Amino acid sequence: MKITVCIGSSCHIKGSRLVAQQLQELIAKHNLDDKVELCGTFCMGKCQQGVCVTVDDNFFSVKPESVDEFFATNVIANL
Amino acid sequence: MNNLCSDIGYKSINHYGESLCGDHIEIVEIDDNSTVIVLSDGLGSGVKASILSTLTSKIISTMMAEGLPIEECVSTIAATLPVCSERGVAYSTFTIIHIINNETAEIFQYDNPHVILLRNEINYEYPQTELNIDGKKIYKSVIPLYENDVFIAMSDGCPHAGVGTTYNFGWKREEIISFMEALIPAGYTAKNLSTMLVEECNKLYGFQPGDDATACVIKIRKREPMNILFGPPSNPDDCNRMMSLFFSKQGKHIICGGTTSSIAAKYLNKPLKTSLIFEQSDIPPTAELESVDLVTEGVITINRVVEYAKDYLGENNFYEHWNIKHDGASLISRMLFEEATDINFFVGRAINPAHQNPDLPITFSIKMNLVDELSDALKKMGKKIKVIYF
Repeated sequence: MKITVCIGSSCHIKGSRLVAQQLQELIAKHNLDDKVELCGTFCMGKCQQGVCVTVDDNFFSVKPESVDEFFATNVIANL
Repeated sequence: MNNLCSDIGYKSINHYGESLCGDHIEIVEIDDNSTVIVLSDGLGSGVKASILSTLTSKIISTMMAEGLPIEECVSTIAATLPVCSERGVAYSTFTIIHIINNETAEIFQYDNPHVILLRNEINYEYPQTELNIDGKKIYKSVIPLYENDVFIAMSDGCPHAGVGTTYNFGWKREEIISFMEALIPAGYTAKNLSTMLVEECNKLYGFQPGDDATACVIKIRKREPMNILFGPPSNPDDCNRMMSLFFSKQGKHIICGGTTSSIAAKYLNKPLKTSLIFEQSDIPPTAELESVDLVTEGVITINRVVEYAKDYLGENNFYEHWNIKHDGASLISRMLFEEATDINFFVGRAINPAHQNPDLPITFSIKMNLVDELSDALKKMGKKIKVIYF
């Protein structure tokens, strides 16, 4: 599974750094390093819905405060 | 015409308790390769000294730039300066360094500590001829320039640093020379060399300078072209034209902006690898793209570079930050302020639809302002700037 977090200007302002860091921590906590790949990308062209995150090819809008919920429903549940 | 250019930087500290500096530096660019630099130290400190030194350096630099002989400059100064009511003299020292075609330095020195020349990292005693103009002893030198020559002009506040406290007789010339010789191999810019020299003086004065102290450093270096791409073109059909022009230029290449770097990646047909390593909390991470020296985010990064540039021209407080960090803004700052001498800006004027959200503090005019502010600041650093819009 590949999770991509947008680190473009707009998502950066909306807190993409916090999202990426929390995801890094969650992946480490659940020992998913070999199953989940986390990477960054520049603008996905959907800045209005930032922070833009994709899991494989599915698009999600994630806020720094909703990372835990996002991780539980869209990452853990689908592994 | 050679491949050399002069990197000029200076820094002053004021006499303790004074808000004005009695030393003044004036730099006049005569053409692309010739410059007149005048360092003047007015009698006393505060307002009076400031007026004397400002007048002196302004008059001399303007006259020299117009090609008038030194004799005329000196007699004009003598006839123009207001006479000090306390001391009954009109007096201000000066050091004139005239860089001609980046091939020769013509130096005239009157009553300032003599200019130090470091050649191949060590002190070089250059010949001086004594002239007598209107009863004033003025030393003239004509020196052919070589790459890595470093000229250090000072006001007497530098060698007087620490008199009676740290040292009995102040900071001796030989000691200043060895202090500076030790710094040269590290490759600091003229601005940073002058800052370090003056900061050392400040320290020797116990942070309460007993005199205004100024250092001006001129470093003769090779030209280093650099190219920076910022923003996609307003007409998407111009993408290839913009990219081919950008990549055809000599020197290093920097790309700022997410969309812009995606366009470049497509043009080069190479993958764009973004990193998730946050070097510094408030600057977005950088990316990697083959054959591009640096890829960063756009506005937030450039905005920080502009802040660093303005500080670098003045107080130079943030140097210790951008000198060691690896975030996009620090990396760009090092490349533009320290390495580059000739910078080509390729600026795209596309309006990013994603940025037209009222929640976001990024607007098109802010982006264009950033380019103007950055190119202005870089010009003040003595860089040759070209801006091309698409």
